[in-house]
Amino acid sequence: MASTYTPPVQLLIDELGRLPGVGPKSAQRIAFHLLKIPADDVNRLAEAIIDAKKRVRFCERCFNVADSTLCPICNDDARDSSLVCVVEESRDIVALEKTGEFRGRYHVLLGAMSPLEGIGPEDLKIRELVARIEPEGIEEVILCTNPNTEGEVTAMYLARLLKPIGLKVTRIASGLPVGGDLEYADELTLGRALEGRRSVED
Amino acid sequence: MSGLYHDTGVVLRTYKLRESDKIVVIHTRDNGKVRAVAKGVRKTRSKFGARLEPMSHVKLLLYRGRELDIVSQAEAVEPLSPMLSSLDRASQGLAALEAVDQLSLEREPNPQLYKMLVGVLRTIAAEPSPLNVPAFYWKLLAREGFSPQLDECVRCHGSEPAVQLVAFDLNEGGVLCRSCRSGQAISPAALGLLRDILGGRLQHALRQEESPATHEVSALATRALEYQIERRLKAVAMFEAH
Repeated sequence: MASTYTPPVQLLIDELGRLPGVGPKSAQRIAFHLLKIPADDVNRLAEAIIDAKKRVRFCERCFNVADSTLCPICNDDARDSSLVCVVEESRDIVALEKTGEFRGRYHVLLGAMSPLEGIGPEDLKIRELVARIEPEGIEEVILCTNPNTEGEVTAMYLARLLKPIGLKVTRIASGLPVGGDLEYADELTLGRALEGRRSVED
Repeated sequence: MSGLYHDTGVVLRTYKLRESDKIVVIHTRDNGKVRAVAKGVRKTRSKFGARLEPMSHVKLLLYRGRELDIVSQAEAVEPLSPMLSSLDRASQGLAALEAVDQLSLEREPNPQLYKMLVGVLRTIAAEPSPLNVPAFYWKLLAREGFSPQLDECVRCHGSEPAVQLVAFDLNEGGVLCRSCRSGQAISPAALGLLRDILGGRLQHALRQEESPATHEVSALATRALEYQIERRLKAVAMFEAH
């Protein structure tokens, strides 16, 4: 089918259509919205994209997104460097930081092992994690991968790899979400919640 | 007619979909392979929780859609926790799932495959013996019509002890004697294990400790299944390398 828009518009629609979750119709809608709004607004968006793409890179130490060689967390000297929390994606760091409970550092694997899709340990930043242990004096590694099959397999693999080095290796607890109903909990989660129970503080 | 139906099945794999949904691929007892959307399953407050993770054996209430069905309710038949209790169990379980995913056909009832899968998962949960997955592969192949000839040379029909059976050729479909040999070498111990697996002494084979012979049987099983489905098996390759 021949394109019915003039080439610049069609190009814009095609490029927008390559974004995740944007179909041809949405791409068309966004394109016409961009053409309608003031040029300043469009420039700001374009600059934000170019600037982010130019300046953002991975932290050389923990592979979090950063705007210099090290991310803000690795640069923060007040953080406990003996404690490292291993996560799958940078997004998970944001979620963990929101809790305000963790004062150590992070390590982003940039994915999880998925045997069914052929993603193995060598596709993740595991070698880099091992290389950090000695120079940074890491004493405890907290495995904070997602509690699904891929995350569990990754956590078990890492535990098998790290324990012989003589580190304390821990896994985040699984339990019931606050505000949820017990009767809707699945067996695995409820079982683990029971397993990880603790005595009530006075 | 209502679009809702009940079935029981094992989750083979999942794909992320949109913000918090997943497509789950299930091998069911009565409907063969079914693809269904599980809405909101990736949220921590989802009612499905861990029930729709790969290897889960679940009773389902599904809503028939045009292309994808929708999971309405899921109830665990067997606990998933043993499968995720060790790396060996998890990797064996995933390797079994991958093979079934390749052999199962959409909306093509295959209750025997379902039974075999449930059986192998139970076996793995009980004891992650090194021959669980290879034995399962050989049994799958036998069911698909590929039963290798193990008792006489496929070319000259000489049998032991008159000739020594020393090689195994997938193209020929069985073992070969020293003078006809092609394919790859096979040790007497590995050949014995293969005969145990396919000849009704499975329990004996599963009691074997890890040894060069079990590795041989395992590599051969993977090769044979890959030859048959004309695809590489990813899960086994990954865990064999480590």
